[in-house]
Amino acid sequence: MHISDGILAPQWCLAWFALAIPLIAVAVWQIKKCTKENPSYMPILAMMGAVIFVISVWHIPVPVTGSCAHPIGTPMSAIIVGPFATVVLSALALFFQMFFAHGGITTLGANTVSMGVVGGTSGYLVFLLLRKAKMPIWLSAGVGGSLGDIMCYITTALQLALSLNPSSVLFHWALYSAGFLPTQLPLTVGEFVFTAGIVQYIADRRPDILKGGVPSA
Amino acid sequence: MLDRFTKIALILMLVLTASFCIGSYIGYMSGSEMETAYVVVMEEAAVAANVESKHIICGITDVVGEPVGFTIAGIVAGFIIGYCWADIFRREEDV
Repeated sequence: MHISDGILAPQWCLAWFALAIPLIAVAVWQIKKCTKENPSYMPILAMMGAVIFVISVWHIPVPVTGSCAHPIGTPMSAIIVGPFATVVLSALALFFQMFFAHGGITTLGANTVSMGVVGGTSGYLVFLLLRKAKMPIWLSAGVGGSLGDIMCYITTALQLALSLNPSSVLFHWALYSAGFLPTQLPLTVGEFVFTAGIVQYIADRRPDILKGGVPSA
Repeated sequence: MLDRFTKIALILMLVLTASFCIGSYIGYMSGSEMETAYVVVMEEAAVAANVESKHIICGITDVVGEPVGFTIAGIVAGFIIGYCWADIFRREEDV
């Protein structure tokens, strides 16, 4: 999700950075640990970083609503490389996307929280929950992808409401969410399809690289 | 002769491009601007709250344009994905 510079108040920009930075620090420590244990973790991370970068600037036309929007890709990444690593990958993807007029430097923390933390973690938790309920991998991953996408946009709506409309946060949270959802809901189908397809492919071919919920080969 | 990975990647690219073109065409033909939904919401929210949306950092797309900028980004990301994908998932029978 790409909130531009100038939209969020400075205190909110700092607050979102304060939330994102400790998570990034923990994630960097975890990545170092995983890379030491398994050197092949790095190419998987590189690939997921590039995938998040591309998917989250992929403006898909939704003719029904006469607009376009993009999926986020972070739920899929969280399922494959773990939610902490996904926070770092989305921060990096968002950093490079700044040079493509997507997002901003002052809102990097807020965008990392909505896309990397909330989008990734919620998708991952839904995946784990459905796997525990003995759902197939593709279905668990697909539903995780879709819900992670929606949660990311709902968080962005909250970030906008908290900063722009502090006197009527709930009303504007609902209003901005309602503005996002008509275009975003059809896109969750796309997020479902590629998350389900890619996670199932990896589970069939290299189940050892999946984190949590999927048994190792 | 193309290997299996390249064939699937090319087919996927053609299918996605075609579906995006068809979706955009239908949207424009029905009189829509096909703007990015979240940007519209964000800009309107900013105007209503009397703040201005801007980009502090000059984007590559501002200099070379969106088609060139995103083509470069796509090529770089594609090389990374393709290189790592083949490294991680390729099996003898795929070549």
